[in-house]
Amino acid sequence: MKVAALALVLCTGSASAAPLKLWHAYRGGEEQALQQLAKEFTAQTGQEVELLAVPYDAFSSKITSAIPHNAGPDLFIFAHERLRQFVRLGVVSPSELPKFSAGYLKPAVDALEVDGVHYGWPLSLKCLALFHNRKLVEVPPQSTAQLLELLPTLSNAEQNRFGLAYEAGDFYFHAPILFGFAGQLFGPDGKSQFDTPEMAASLGFIRQMQDARWIPQEASGALVKSLFNDGRAAMVISGPWFAGEIDAKVDYAITALPTVSQTGLPMRPFLGVEAAFVSSKSTQQAQAQALAKFLSDGPGAVTRAVLGRQIPAALAAYEDPKVQDDFVISSFRKAALQATPTPNTLEMTRVWEPMKLSLRAVLQGLATPQEGGALAERRYRALHREAPADASALPYLLVFGVGLVATGGLAWKRRTKVSFGRKYPEAARGILYVAPAAAGLLVLVIIPFAVGISLSLFHHDAGTYRFVGLANFFDILASRGYSITEPLSFYFTLVVTLLWTGVNVVLHVSVGLALALLLKSPLLRLRGVFRVLLIIPWAVPNYITALMWKGMFHRQFGAVNALLDALGIEPVSWFTHFATSFAANVITNTWLGFPFMMVVSLGALQSIPQDLYEAAEVDGASKWTQFRHITLPLLRPALLPAIILGSVWTFNMFNVIYLVSGGEPGGATDILVSEAFRWAFQRNEQYGFAAAYSVLIFFVLLGWSSITRRISREEAAG
Amino acid sequence: MSAVKLAGIRKSFGDNEIVKGVDLEIHTGEFLVMVGPSGCGKTTLLRLIAGLEQCDAGEISFDGQRVNEVPPRDRDVGMVFQSYALYPHLTVRENLAFGLMLRKLPPAEITTRVNEAAALLELSALLDRKPKALSGGQRQRVAMGRVIVRRPKLFLFDEPLSNLDTSLRVAMRGELARLHRRLGVTMLYVTHDQVEAMTLASRVAVFNEGVLQQLGPPLELYHRPANRFVATFLGSPSMNILPARRDGALLKGEGFTLPAPAEAAGELLVGLRPQELRIGAEGPFSGEIEAVERLGFDGFAFLKTAAGPLVARFEGLVEVGQTVRVQPLGDATHLFTPDGTKALRHPPAERKA
Repeated sequence: MKVAALALVLCTGSASAAPLKLWHAYRGGEEQALQQLAKEFTAQTGQEVELLAVPYDAFSSKITSAIPHNAGPDLFIFAHERLRQFVRLGVVSPSELPKFSAGYLKPAVDALEVDGVHYGWPLSLKCLALFHNRKLVEVPPQSTAQLLELLPTLSNAEQNRFGLAYEAGDFYFHAPILFGFAGQLFGPDGKSQFDTPEMAASLGFIRQMQDARWIPQEASGALVKSLFNDGRAAMVISGPWFAGEIDAKVDYAITALPTVSQTGLPMRPFLGVEAAFVSSKSTQQAQAQALAKFLSDGPGAVTRAVLGRQIPAALAAYEDPKVQDDFVISSFRKAALQATPTPNTLEMTRVWEPMKLSLRAVLQGLATPQEGGALAERRYRALHREAPADASALPYLLVFGVGLVATGGLAWKRRTKVSFGRKYPEAARGILYVAPAAAGLLVLVIIPFAVGISLSLFHHDAGTYRFVGLANFFDILASRGYSITEPLSFYFTLVVTLLWTGVNVVLHVSVGLALALLLKSPLLRLRGVFRVLLIIPWAVPNYITALMWKGMFHRQFGAVNALLDALGIEPVSWFTHFATSFAANVITNTWLGFPFMMVVSLGALQSIPQDLYEAAEVDGASKWTQFRHITLPLLRPALLPAIILGSVWTFNMFNVIYLVSGGEPGGATDILVSEAFRWAFQRNEQYGFAAAYSVLIFFVLLGWSSITRRISREEAAG
Repeated sequence: MSAVKLAGIRKSFGDNEIVKGVDLEIHTGEFLVMVGPSGCGKTTLLRLIAGLEQCDAGEISFDGQRVNEVPPRDRDVGMVFQSYALYPHLTVRENLAFGLMLRKLPPAEITTRVNEAAALLELSALLDRKPKALSGGQRQRVAMGRVIVRRPKLFLFDEPLSNLDTSLRVAMRGELARLHRRLGVTMLYVTHDQVEAMTLASRVAVFNEGVLQQLGPPLELYHRPANRFVATFLGSPSMNILPARRDGALLKGEGFTLPAPAEAAGELLVGLRPQELRIGAEGPFSGEIEAVERLGFDGFAFLKTAAGPLVARFEGLVEVGQTVRVQPLGDATHLFTPDGTKALRHPPAERKA
């Protein structure tokens, strides 16, 4: 009724109304359902809707940065965990949800409340449940005792068969187990707590399963999916999205997670509520709210449930026979009853990285279950360092002002007697020619640079910036909060970065040069073919290459270990130790980097006159002497700039580090630039701290470039 | 005694046979110049001797020892390249010392030899420069110095003067001749410039299309060329070649008659050096002057005659377009077979003395 009435209102003036922009991160069936609903909405109201699918990883930061600048959507679909942050940043409008709360599952309505005000319209629920292959498991386990009895009969490590598969390294999947062991994430003061006996018990439980090889190591979502579809994983812990990934041939059922026998408590998964939020900056509030409500209730919920297989929040949807027939939906509705809504507090967002570190360390055998909690605790404290004391901006402004005056004075003193216009009569035209490049430089380099430097003097916390002077630099350089031998320390990362750069450049040049010499050899047939083949690694976008290598280094399913295995060598768990993880990064980056050096060397080699070699041969030089006394010295002028360039590229080679090792183990293989990224985007948005890192990176590279400039000047002179 | 002996040397690059069976002996201490047009195989032959190429057939021996399989560095040869092939990253001193260091000579010995060679070639002031700071002539001298310091038993030169300008070339020719006299070593020199061949050589080997045409002292080749190719290749301007036929006591060609030497019979080619022909009011040839190359009071005139183009010497005044007569100076007649492959007669030698 309401929609119809609203539609009437809208129809009168909607012909010229701007389309509603809706951002979401849906794929597949969920996206189809959304598209269909958007069409229906347009048909009913005449209001156009423009959908934009945004990659999930960047979604949250896109919203928080776009909406305050009026560049965002009218509404967006997001999980409720970030709601408090959205409210704090003022990017969402309150909704009239309480008026309609009777029509929704209660936890869904509760999850959308912040300080007594409700925001957004609940769309669907997400929580974890236990999937089991009905051919392999007759009766799903009700308790961990039953589970532990069942697992040995279902697992066979030799054949890569597992009783249970889930993404054990992700805290989202570990949380229900922690809660089942009576663990509490937050202490009485509301702060996170990690080092508890319950935490140790829960970590001990999963370590036991992994040590017995009942669950796969380093399982990713893709791995879990392929294991379950191949019948090599009897049970899987996953969410509603997993139903869409299961092959039609697999006969499966879904039940709630088992109870922990020691405590008698159920494993309580996090409940995520996805909601349609209306942007506070939308100029079409009424239409946007109407669309959000349309997506949320009754028919909209049915469409999403049927097409997108979402677990609807609207009760009315469960009346629909098609929804009732869907056992996935009804199973998850049951599972959701024992779920606990993910806290939407800021404190919750700080739990993930320390817990990820702890889980990885325990699963990879680097820490005992008892040490796991303490490890997370330490990481938590390091990441959420206390804000430095506010500093007065006055002295800085004073120094800046004095510097400005001094520079100006110097310029005035040095001014020439002849006026600029007289000296350069054509100046206007010259300035015109230079202007486009100068404007580009200003916008792309100078302004970001100035902003970056200024930002490094601030502390960012929860949307507010406070001037702290050089405190960020002091903290970094004094390695406050961790010893300098820990991966979080600037010095540790600097040493790793220098090692990374040095090892890579040496390998790039030697491999590149060796291949160039081979390619130049007149004995080699099909030289052109080889040349093209060897340049290919360079032509493929480096993140794709990095992802391929990441897959090849997988502990159980990677090609590298398969090769080692075939050669009778013990497979290597590449990302659990610094040396192997670092080596994996270096191998990937060498693959990416040698073609450049090869092409440069090849060009330079071809420009060395053949006469010189013949003269040397007559003079009595062996091949090796010719290489050492003719090839190498004559390559130097061409290779030197390439090496300088390559060293800077490698120093800042974010992609390989981020995608291949991801800093594993425990951030040890992170280099300065990926560390700066983590401070900014993965550790409580410490933008000022990250900017200070960037400034330090700048100074390191400035120092390096002054050294290299001297070397090349000497080269040019000699 | 022969320092180098080549026997039946053949060399092809792909389907292209460059050297087609060459036999050649180089005497110890002589300056042998191999001359011929581009692509005649002379440089290939030099590289075969140096060991930079392997021959397909035949035998190369040094002092009676077969060296076909010996690598260049063990042949005890020194080579000066057309491009000089100086090491650009090394100073003149280092360039000179490089070969000696490779042979692990004591440093004192190296210094002595480098300084000696530098003094000989007037390079002493340039020892610390790099090649790019040298002029063409200086580079050329460094390239020679690099061979001299090694004191090889055989010097090989691959068109060493072709990158120099004319005046420098004349000067360097002189230096090379002096150097040969002074060192007394065997030198093998490749050039396409007949002037270098004539002025430098003890003996000249003329090549064409991969075949040795004639070998001998320069003047012998000039006065007694073995065939039409050698006759026209050496001497400037080239020898005039006119087809003729013996008719009784006369040689008759198109629009001229000459007295027939005893060796003449049937169809043949008459060769007359331009230097032996004079333009005047009389003579067996008549033609119109098409071009004049005046060297001062005298010069050469290029005529169009009934028998074909003819070059002759003149003194005094001649003009383009003038019709003149040409008179040989005494008996100057060379005779060749009609295909030019063999000389039948040369003018008597005593005339030249």
